[in-house]
Amino acid sequence: MWSALGTDGRVCGAAAFVRRGIVSSALVMLWFSLHAQTVVDTLRLREVVVVAPRLVGMNVGARSKVVDSTAFARHATADLGTLLTNESSVFIKSYGLGSLATTAFRGGSANHTAVLWNGFNLGSPMNGQLDLSLVPVLAANDVRIEHGGATALWGSGAVGGTIHLNNLPRFDRGPYVEVGASVGSFGDLRQQVSASLGNARWSASVALFHTAARNDFRYVLADNTAERKQENAQLEQRGLLTQVHHQITAQQRVSVGYWYQFSDRGIPPTLQQGRSTAEQRDESHRLTAAWQYSARRSVVHVRSAWFQEGLRWFPFDDTAVDSRSRTAIAEGEWRFRPGRGHLFIMGLNATHAAARSDGYADAPQQLRSALFGAYTYTARSGRWSASASARQERMDQRLVPFTANIGAQVRLMPGAQLKASVSKLYRVPTFNDLYWVPGGVRDLLPESGHGAEVGVALDRTVGRVAVNGEVTTYSRTMDQWIIWLPGPAYWSPQNVMQVWSRGVEAGAEVIVSVGRSKLTFALNTDHVVSTNQRAKSSDDASVDKQLIYTPMYSGRGRIGVQHGRFSATCIAVYTGYRYTSTDTRSFLEPFTVANAWLAYALRTGKRGSLSVDLQCNNLFDARYQVIADRPMPLRHYRIGVRYQFGER
Amino acid sequence: MNGMSARMCVVSAMVLLAFALQSCRKDRPEPPVEEPNAPVDRGVYVINEGNFQWGNASVSHFDAATGEVVEDLYAPANGEALGDVLQSMTLHDGKAYLVVNNSGKVEVVDPATFVSSATITGFASPRYLLPVSSSKAYVSDLQSGSIAVVDLQANSITGSIPCAGWTEMMALVGSEVFVTNQTRRYVYVIDTATDAIVDSIAVSRGGNSLVLDADGALWVACSGGTGTAPALYRIDPVSHNVDATFPLPSSADSPSRLTMNGDGTVLYFLNTDVFRMAITDDALPSVPFVAADGRNFYGLGVDPNSGVVHAADALDFTQRGVVHRYGADGASLGTFYAGRIPSAFIFH
Repeated sequence: MWSALGTDGRVCGAAAFVRRGIVSSALVMLWFSLHAQTVVDTLRLREVVVVAPRLVGMNVGARSKVVDSTAFARHATADLGTLLTNESSVFIKSYGLGSLATTAFRGGSANHTAVLWNGFNLGSPMNGQLDLSLVPVLAANDVRIEHGGATALWGSGAVGGTIHLNNLPRFDRGPYVEVGASVGSFGDLRQQVSASLGNARWSASVALFHTAARNDFRYVLADNTAERKQENAQLEQRGLLTQVHHQITAQQRVSVGYWYQFSDRGIPPTLQQGRSTAEQRDESHRLTAAWQYSARRSVVHVRSAWFQEGLRWFPFDDTAVDSRSRTAIAEGEWRFRPGRGHLFIMGLNATHAAARSDGYADAPQQLRSALFGAYTYTARSGRWSASASARQERMDQRLVPFTANIGAQVRLMPGAQLKASVSKLYRVPTFNDLYWVPGGVRDLLPESGHGAEVGVALDRTVGRVAVNGEVTTYSRTMDQWIIWLPGPAYWSPQNVMQVWSRGVEAGAEVIVSVGRSKLTFALNTDHVVSTNQRAKSSDDASVDKQLIYTPMYSGRGRIGVQHGRFSATCIAVYTGYRYTSTDTRSFLEPFTVANAWLAYALRTGKRGSLSVDLQCNNLFDARYQVIADRPMPLRHYRIGVRYQFGER
Repeated sequence: MNGMSARMCVVSAMVLLAFALQSCRKDRPEPPVEEPNAPVDRGVYVINEGNFQWGNASVSHFDAATGEVVEDLYAPANGEALGDVLQSMTLHDGKAYLVVNNSGKVEVVDPATFVSSATITGFASPRYLLPVSSSKAYVSDLQSGSIAVVDLQANSITGSIPCAGWTEMMALVGSEVFVTNQTRRYVYVIDTATDAIVDSIAVSRGGNSLVLDADGALWVACSGGTGTAPALYRIDPVSHNVDATFPLPSSADSPSRLTMNGDGTVLYFLNTDVFRMAITDDALPSVPFVAADGRNFYGLGVDPNSGVVHAADALDFTQRGVVHRYGADGASLGTFYAGRIPSAFIFH
């Protein structure tokens, strides 16, 4: 692995320095955890260790989904955008293989999905978004997708939904090592190595990854037209992730985490652009630290994070356009269980962000603080539970709208739940909205809105057949929706749109076990109507029309077979019409992309296993574009080998 | 399961179903018209810039006599989209030259059928094409720091004239070409005999458009910036002197799309609203000719024969634009739809 990291030919001095830093810090952490293991091995812990991510379970009545281990395995070397495309309802606006990928979740914009890493929002303070193609699935060992708005719990931007990436500790699990490599079409080479150790008091993990691809795929636009080759889409990514959790005493635990990542990629031309030599380099350092004190009835958490992100953009020559941001977050939280079934949480969050960019006149800074509280009650019978949460945030000197969330779920009969929740939502303007020169508006208002959802969830096992399913319908209105519109001399953000998003999400999964075999069938459908309700100017034909790049219909089907050491999965994703004009007169055709996975695992020794997996993407050679004029590859392959040792 | 739970199940299922049905919508849009257009012989071409990197540039056509509108001339005639960001169109010698900025090319088409006969390539970010003789043209550029010299017979680039910054609209007066510049505080003067810059005339930054009036004076609109005021300039093209400067009152002003009526006596320009002033006026107009009233005016043109003013509203820049037509007295003569982001008009 290290040789893979070290063999790239174009590492500058700074990167080499950082790499040396990574190596030494990783070694220190490993040594530290190994050393510690021998000392505290035999200590017995009285308290049950809380491993669930914070606040999960506080959003009662909302639809949520945990990405299961088989989905994880299928996407072990992939990025989060690809995982969500294949395995979730989130529509991923992908600009091509390895290119920018942003979300449209429940009819919201890319700014309306909060992506949280161990509870900290990864969205850039500059544009409020996160490029999901830059997030490796490896970055978390637990991914949860929470549908619907919950800004009272997760803060600004958790409007369409929230994606939780967590690194849960793995105490008491012993050593685990995983080494994987894959080779794919278009010069796609990936290597990963991860190791973790755990005993009663320590949990430490480190992971390294490297990805390089030419992505020079061939594509055809229509029948009888010449094949074309994608240009300037090469990419290289490398990174390090490490987490150490230490149970100091029965009451106290500390955790530290560090995530470094570097990415360098070409920005390919659009179909109508002659050529492109544009290049983008992203580099980020993300550091977290947490301390937790557990008493009999209450738990105190103190957590902090430091994110530093840099983006260098080379539009057409060697002249770089730089933007850098850093975010410091501190959060204190008190959980209190006054009695059985009751859980009360109060917390305070302070977030300081600063950024520099050629687009800003000075180096803007922002201090946001928030007071939040939540309460859940679970009936003794377990038949129903309810939650309420509220949050008041202050941005610099101004109060942003108060938000709240109320939800409940009731067991109708064994295995069937009725869920409902209502929420008040907000999203604060980004640095670009506030400070961009020219155009930024310092007194821009936060977006605010409200939403509600009702759903029924089913989970039953009858003999060899397990069935789970959920149908949810929702409605949400966001007001003061910010868009950039032209002014006399320049574009400027304005609080002009009002967007009403509503829809129905339905999903079902059937698992049949026959002897050593397991068959899985899953089907999900999403219907999203997300319309602008207010004219932006006279003659605006967008009123009551679907937002651009928001498919009204989409769906996913999955068939899986597992027989002993062998497994096969096929996933087909349908994406309906996406409009490319706000009057819905221009559009992109619907498409279905099918992907297949074959995997075979064999045991090596008592604790090791070796697996080989073959992946075929776009099985039926669908010609499609997610975003207009950004071609996507035809059928392509990847073969991977993975060695695992120990208990995961 | 007890009766109560069963009832709740049924009720909730019905509520869900009701919600589901209520929100259902048809998503299939009207398919676009693919049939070729009849040749156009008189009227106005509307340049539709299109969105940057969306590849949806187009040319619309409007015939005032019949009221007939063609949404796009190019794609039906050539079987493919025109390209990414149509910056300008120039009619010359029985041909139309379409400068497609982010596709880095100039399409040469028949003005009636719009069938392409040649593509001139090799530009970095071309903006405007100005024929300086029957066989030679200059093409300004946003990125390259030079003006390309094009052979109109061979349809190829034959040379370049170094010119710093973002060169924009150009005008030929006698044997000299005057070049506006968006990122420099000068109007540059090129001698067409030597293809070299011979002079520079100090103005504000943001030079974006220029016209020659009936008295032979050159008018230049500058949007200002980096400490320079937005202003209109009147330049004597013979002496290269600035005769008069008309600064706009606020740095937030931004005059653009400077154009003329047919006899060269009245100037029109955009500055949020549509303004007009006689070339003999000694001050800028204080009252707009047409107030924007919530519209996003982006393009402006005046029919040289009828004097009808065409003002293009680009709306939110993500749908087709609306062109408003006004008589010389300011009375509305109706509207028609153009393509995405209409920015300029070519009358023929």
